[in-house]
Amino acid sequence: MTGGVRRPPTRRPGGFRPRRPTVWEKVLLTAAGLVKRYGEVRALDGFDLHVEAGEITGLIGHNGAGKTTFVEVVTRLVKPDAGELTIYGTDALRGPRSAQKLIGACPQEIALYPTATVRDNLQLFGALTGLRRSVRQEAIRQLAAELMLENVLDRPVALISGGQQRRTQVASAMIGNPPLLLLDEPTAGADPQTRAALLRSVRARAEAGAAVIYTTHYLPELTDLVATLAVIRRGRVVARGEQSSLLSGLPSTVRLRFGAAGPAQLPPEMAGRAVREQDEWRLTSMDPPADLAALVVAGCSPTFVDVDRPDLDNLFETLGALPAGAGAGAGAEDQAEEKAVPASTGPSATPRKAALSSRPDTSTARTARAEAREANDAG
Amino acid sequence: MRDEETVIRVSALVRHNMTLLLREPGPLISRLVMPLGFALLMRPLYVAAHGESSGNIQVVTGGLVVFSLLALSIVGNAVFSERVWRTWNRLRASSARPLEILVGKSVPVFGALVCQQVLVLLFGVTLLGMPVAEPVLLCTAVLCWSLALLGLGAALGVVARSLEQMSATYDIGGILLSGLAGAVVPLSMMPEWVRPLAPFSPGHWALQAFNGALTGDAAATVGACGVLLVVAAAGTAVVCARLLGGEGRAARL
Repeated sequence: MTGGVRRPPTRRPGGFRPRRPTVWEKVLLTAAGLVKRYGEVRALDGFDLHVEAGEITGLIGHNGAGKTTFVEVVTRLVKPDAGELTIYGTDALRGPRSAQKLIGACPQEIALYPTATVRDNLQLFGALTGLRRSVRQEAIRQLAAELMLENVLDRPVALISGGQQRRTQVASAMIGNPPLLLLDEPTAGADPQTRAALLRSVRARAEAGAAVIYTTHYLPELTDLVATLAVIRRGRVVARGEQSSLLSGLPSTVRLRFGAAGPAQLPPEMAGRAVREQDEWRLTSMDPPADLAALVVAGCSPTFVDVDRPDLDNLFETLGALPAGAGAGAGAEDQAEEKAVPASTGPSATPRKAALSSRPDTSTARTARAEAREANDAG
Repeated sequence: MRDEETVIRVSALVRHNMTLLLREPGPLISRLVMPLGFALLMRPLYVAAHGESSGNIQVVTGGLVVFSLLALSIVGNAVFSERVWRTWNRLRASSARPLEILVGKSVPVFGALVCQQVLVLLFGVTLLGMPVAEPVLLCTAVLCWSLALLGLGAALGVVARSLEQMSATYDIGGILLSGLAGAVVPLSMMPEWVRPLAPFSPGHWALQAFNGALTGDAAATVGACGVLLVVAAAGTAVVCARLLGGEGRAARL
């Protein structure tokens, strides 16, 4: 697929015009085997990722997993020791610098000119992408309306609130509608209103055909964005796919209560997955309906049943989080251990195996997002 | 298209950096006004020591060198603030080429340095009656000294680790280099052991260049301008190495 991508989109000084990507332009970013070492620490250690046009990809992982290093590689702030990176089919590591105008990058920390006004900042970042003055002004007007910055456009950045600074920073990345947006924790410290405005804006960019790479520690945002996920651990992507597909690899927790004459033990096939806590049983189950049916067949009908479905926090805990006490620099050992874990050696092995084996299924990302939104609206 | 986009980017960078400079005009105004006050206050002393013509030249060029060395802080702040604001990496991550960024940052401060010197020289010519034997060479000297200051100031701006360290370096370094150059007290009146050290100060070569142009010694001006250009090139090399070589969050700028 990626081999068929031939040329980047032309972007005139008038600005990039988002449009529906053609088939051969669908894979917008491909990272293959990226490696970046800082001394003994491997910030990226065989990082692979494909991102399609119109897809929002949530990068999740513990602090130091390699999310920001990846963003820095894409923005050419960091040169990787090995690996390939193509954006719109162009070699993004060795190709012409002009390809950078296809990227809108929003760093983790506020990086704006505090003595300049919001408008001055947006003018500068718009001009750096090559936008003509008249186009910049129109783009600033639209972004200000979209991100609720109209009243502060002519105020110095130092004198506006933290949330407004956040929105200004995101606006400075979005100006000119770049086809690839890199948003590194764009809502960190933002209030709910700012968060909602930013998420709305991100969704709109994706619907217009932009690919968005979104790093965050606030996982519910990724559910709101209906983002596909890339779980990063020790500098590599350990799981990739749609949320539903990754979550389906994790077990649910079924809470069960029985009457006064409850069973002393659950059926043998559940013995290794059930724990009794006072008058309640907690059963780890990949298929709660089947387990409940098995209970009834075995004559253990519960009087109370509650099923806790896995969520992104569980996914993060299972795949992305480091073991307690682990440092950020012991990647190889951890990964070797991870690969060596047999799929059937314990309750945690099954979901891990299932999620690790999930195949990226990003071709339907936009459709899935649209369907989920429709479902939410209907709900 | 590439040329058009380059023009758009460079002009926006120049305009933006000019805006930043004018938003905090205090340092710029003080560096423009102080040399004029210095010349007015010190003129009687210099005229008494060296006579009317030579005294006027000494007080104008000496003051010019002292306060243009102190104006290095304007250059350094323009560079250092990008570190404090974390905006340097955003510029590097943009499609602007490194040369475009450096030009965009340099032009406004270079303009400020030239303005300062032109103002002081005009003051000397119009109000103090300072003679100018070689106007073209004088303009050349102004440009070469401004380039040297730009290189020096930017180099210190990228090497300094904190604003406090940078301010101290500019103040102490400015006074030290001015003193060594003979800009405050003429070299002829300074202790014997100081004189061999004077060529190590760029201010010494600036004085040579200005005095040569004002008195008609073209050879002295040309030679001194050559040294100043070498200083400018060295400073620029340091800046390029530090600004363009860093990596990501580990970058010094």
